[in-house]
Amino acid sequence: MRFLPHTDTDRNAMLESMGMNTMSDLFADIPKEFHLEQDSLHLPDALSEAAIVRKFTQASEQNRHAGNTRCFLGGGTYHHFVPAVVDYVISRGEFLTAYTPYQPEIAQGTLQTLFEFQTMVARLTGMDVSNASMYEAATATAEAALMARRVTRKSRIVMAGSVNPRYRSVTQNYLSRLEGEYVEVAMDGEGFGTDINNIIAAIDEKTACVIVQYPDFYGSVYDLAPLRAACDAAKCLMVVAFSDATAFALIESPGDMGADIAVGSGQSLGIPMGFGGPHLGLFTCKQKYVRQMPGRVCGMTFDADGKRGFVLTLSTREQHIRREKATSNICSNQGLMCTAAATYMTLMGDEGLKAVAQRSAAALHKLISSLPASVSAAQGAHFHETVLSFSSQAIRDLFLQEARKRDIFAGIPLEQLDDAVEHKHLLVTTTEMIEAADIQDYIAALEVAV
Amino acid sequence: MSVDDTLNTYSAVGGIQHEEPLLFEHAHESAEAISLPGVQGDISDELKAFARKKPANIPGLSEPETVRHFVRMSQWNHSIETGFYPLGSCTMKYNPRVNEQVVRLSGLANIHPDQPVDSVQGVLALLHELQTWLCEIAGFSDVTLQPAAGAHGELVGLMMIRSCLDARGQQHRKKVLVPDSAHGTNPASAALCGMHCVELKSGADGRIDLEELKKHLDGDVAALMMTNPNTAGAFESDIKEICQLVHDAGGLVYGDGANLNALVGVARPGDMGIDCLHINVHKTFSTPHGGGGPGAGPVVVNDTLAPYLPVPRIVKEGDDYRIETQDEQSCGTILGSIGQVGVLLRAHAYIAAFGANHLHKISQDAVLNANYVLHRLKDAYHVPFEGLCKHECLLTDEYQNKHGVKTLDIAKQLIDLGFHPMTVYFPLIVHGAMLIEPTETESKATLDSFCDAMLEIAAQCKAGDTQVLHDAPIKPIRRRLDETQAARKPVLVWSD
Repeated sequence: MRFLPHTDTDRNAMLESMGMNTMSDLFADIPKEFHLEQDSLHLPDALSEAAIVRKFTQASEQNRHAGNTRCFLGGGTYHHFVPAVVDYVISRGEFLTAYTPYQPEIAQGTLQTLFEFQTMVARLTGMDVSNASMYEAATATAEAALMARRVTRKSRIVMAGSVNPRYRSVTQNYLSRLEGEYVEVAMDGEGFGTDINNIIAAIDEKTACVIVQYPDFYGSVYDLAPLRAACDAAKCLMVVAFSDATAFALIESPGDMGADIAVGSGQSLGIPMGFGGPHLGLFTCKQKYVRQMPGRVCGMTFDADGKRGFVLTLSTREQHIRREKATSNICSNQGLMCTAAATYMTLMGDEGLKAVAQRSAAALHKLISSLPASVSAAQGAHFHETVLSFSSQAIRDLFLQEARKRDIFAGIPLEQLDDAVEHKHLLVTTTEMIEAADIQDYIAALEVAV
Repeated sequence: MSVDDTLNTYSAVGGIQHEEPLLFEHAHESAEAISLPGVQGDISDELKAFARKKPANIPGLSEPETVRHFVRMSQWNHSIETGFYPLGSCTMKYNPRVNEQVVRLSGLANIHPDQPVDSVQGVLALLHELQTWLCEIAGFSDVTLQPAAGAHGELVGLMMIRSCLDARGQQHRKKVLVPDSAHGTNPASAALCGMHCVELKSGADGRIDLEELKKHLDGDVAALMMTNPNTAGAFESDIKEICQLVHDAGGLVYGDGANLNALVGVARPGDMGIDCLHINVHKTFSTPHGGGGPGAGPVVVNDTLAPYLPVPRIVKEGDDYRIETQDEQSCGTILGSIGQVGVLLRAHAYIAAFGANHLHKISQDAVLNANYVLHRLKDAYHVPFEGLCKHECLLTDEYQNKHGVKTLDIAKQLIDLGFHPMTVYFPLIVHGAMLIEPTETESKATLDSFCDAMLEIAAQCKAGDTQVLHDAPIKPIRRRLDETQAARKPVLVWSD
């Protein structure tokens, strides 16, 4: 077997040195009744490397993908450009096949990269500090709610209904086995935006935090200043979730808006969509709350010779030290995805990140400006996604078919993610991967359908 | 023998190592590294009103500078591709390169999770096949691929146990028994699930003590969380009786699959009475650790817990696959996506490469290697628990303590000799633990050179030649780092 270095001669020599005769002697401590007969597992026999490549290639070719279609899908996962250098760096065995940097002297590569990652994420989100990643945005949102409970020693969580339904359901599920109230604030009508006044009205003195998404699930961008004031008055935290971190190179960041905790997805920072993962959960907060943060965090220090170096720190928050009193149970995180994001942001810089966001937003503006009269887009400021509303489900679905004929995934039927809405809306998203010609084809399909 | 004398024997860090400043210390203005595609038009006036006023201040380097920056830093890392990495309970085995190749195929890497289901049948077929394989290998009837890591799997397993007990009308059962040798994630996951932990003191042989277990089995017990083989490297030979006792008391048994690498193709946890088990595919099924992740922690379940699996689930109907998102009995939604798909696909490729005819060799060689290392080191180092070990072996620093040398010193000296240290100070049930897991992908020559290094360190202690151990490491780009200072005044971001 090609991944196993031993020859039978090696195996026999090793067994003999221990006074054993057969491999089964090594398993004498497992009760006989549990020993499997050789070859008794119902699995296919081994495939050669070439056969594995063939099998995966065939499976891959059965899928449609962003390489052979035009992808107007978003809702938390985005098709942004990933430079070749990003994949090269994370393919380096020294990054790819290293463990968690528990022995810092021989993990400075991972650690310095994490420190750079944390710094860039903090700067992009406008927050004081970042941890070294969560799994993805939905669990990061749940962890933010848990952290707000620890910080405030209150247990009521207020969640805006305009937060991504997946972030909401995971957060609700995480909280459901703990004491305390979870309140979702329904958004008025089908305006597809965030009604700040409704949210403010739901805050009371027992509230630990309010969770909003900015830009919200429908792509809407709005002012958080009134909410900040209301949170101060009620002594609760303002948690801002986000789904595409590139937005903050263009628009005001969660930190600018006064967030206490900002969490979301870093998938847009150099990570392919990958049918849902692995993505990257970002977790940032104000400096004063850092000791209540979940997850690993990397800090600067010095070595025995006085040279600057980096270590994992504040580990007394973590499960391997604090066990059931830990701030979270997280252990494995998305380390390699941090390396991808750090590489991506280094290649982009302020200017490149802003250009990504600008082009994503410009494409949406162009699309909305070209819509036929019978299709309406949600009102107000939008970043790179919005809701298109059709006169009926039949017409919307006809459009989706027309778009498929043109190799366009035209949007996500909103009811697939949020079953409370009428079946005639489409969440549509644009990135810098959408060209002007793609928008023309999109509009052409629309004109056939409506 | 000094470290320099060993250079010819061991694969110590050596050669050119470049210092590399932080990105933020590269002294020029943002360079242009990228030419972007896309629409270069105007944005809406409404959006302009929200324009960011103060730039984020992310420097940006040109492409050649970026590559050199990260490649230099990569060279400061130890990795499985550069050397032996015997971290106990971490299963640092070789990660096949073909797996990296196939998951990067555009039809797998560039799919959006909300594409119409007819456009993703290929990836769903691979994932569904993995589901059946994991059930078969571990001996269970159903599975969720969704958990993002082992600890996440623990949480999901406990959520299912909670749902099952609630359905039985036993909301009051909130006590989770956890052996004192357990991973720290076990009690942390229980707390997150609204349960509380009671620690079981291990017996004199490092295993679960049946009498101790019986003492705690009352009407409040929700579950026992156990790792088998346990973190002392020992198989819990009483497993059948343990599961029976817990079931008789009305509780369920959660299996922590971190140590599954001892059992693949050899025995199945599901056959032993365990109700659910998470599988760390980044351990047993060789998906790369990536400097801390991503992993994936699928949870396999028996018929008792299958109704409570989280949603969404991948379901096969005839020749078609679809994604089921609704289920009244389900323990709920636990992740914003169907799972860490890229990680799971690597695990698929790994299992496919072994197949039914070779899978057992994974665990046979893993257990052979651990016992071989134990055999070679057992006279020079204290072995707290006698007998066979499984895929990892446990030593302590008791003999070396007499010479003023601690586990930490031994670990750091190993670095100078070219090896990654073993897991240190875990499990907590022995003083100065050293937990060594060689895995099946190491050659006898590598094991011998590691054992030689360990024996040399033991000899240095005996000879009183210990200063070199306290000074170690001196070869890597940095020497021992001041972790106390890092925690006291945390500097987590760079300020210009």
